[in-house]
Amino acid sequence: MKRRNFIKSMMAVSAVAVTPVALMAKEEAKAKKKGPNDMTVEAAIKAITGGTDVKKSDIIKLTVPEIAENGAVVPVKVQVDHPMEESNYVKAIHVLNTKNGNARCVDVMLTPANGKGYFATRIKLSSTQEVVALVELSNGTFIKATKSVKVTIGGCG
Amino acid sequence: MAEARKSMIKIKPKKYKTGDIVKVDFIVIHPMDTGLVKDKKTGKIKPAHYIDNITFSFDGKPFTTMKVWETVSTNPYFSVNFKVPGKGKITVDYTDNTGEKNSKSKKLKPKD
Repeated sequence: MKRRNFIKSMMAVSAVAVTPVALMAKEEAKAKKKGPNDMTVEAAIKAITGGTDVKKSDIIKLTVPEIAENGAVVPVKVQVDHPMEESNYVKAIHVLNTKNGNARCVDVMLTPANGKGYFATRIKLSSTQEVVALVELSNGTFIKATKSVKVTIGGCG
Repeated sequence: MAEARKSMIKIKPKKYKTGDIVKVDFIVIHPMDTGLVKDKKTGKIKPAHYIDNITFSFDGKPFTTMKVWETVSTNPYFSVNFKVPGKGKITVDYTDNTGEKNSKSKKLKPKD
């Protein structure tokens, strides 16, 4: 019994002693890490829209997994139910995230030749966060759809 | 840098007619380094190396352009739709942030 108690107490002590240091080290490492083009979501959306209002819309169908076990590969699919005619079409699809260092993933500029507003890719997510699909229509209006993704293992190093 | 990257264009479905809307999938083998990851062997941080521009064109006319950041996964995959206007060639040109340029093309043969 003595030995058991001793080990228990040791574990408790070590846990108390180690965790704050380890946490601090992690936070420092996070603060130091900076990508080549870091940007927050707000800044990214402003850079894309130029300050225009963005409305939530049902015509965007954003497909992402609810739980992503591997954050390095998260499939994203965006479908926009909107006609693709010469004068009225989906001009651009922007895929954004909310918590990565760089909030922008892909900007896709479409033309009426595409036939449908559709785009699919795979992105990296560092932690549990939201994926944003920001769609620009040819008349200059912006619409968006968001969906949250639970990430078990981060994929940004 | 002169070494050509492995890349692939897939048209889905396999059988299509003029006027059909097909899926054009483009896959390329690329590390897509973010500039945050340490090399396990040397312990040094790998410099950022990612694809930044992609252009899909049909017979020389671009129909989709993309601006890509390092947030996209390793060996990226991009898929767009395309309305087949007839026989021709789809070309995908891509550049990365180190100035590497590559392209890949595939013939479109609609069955009428």
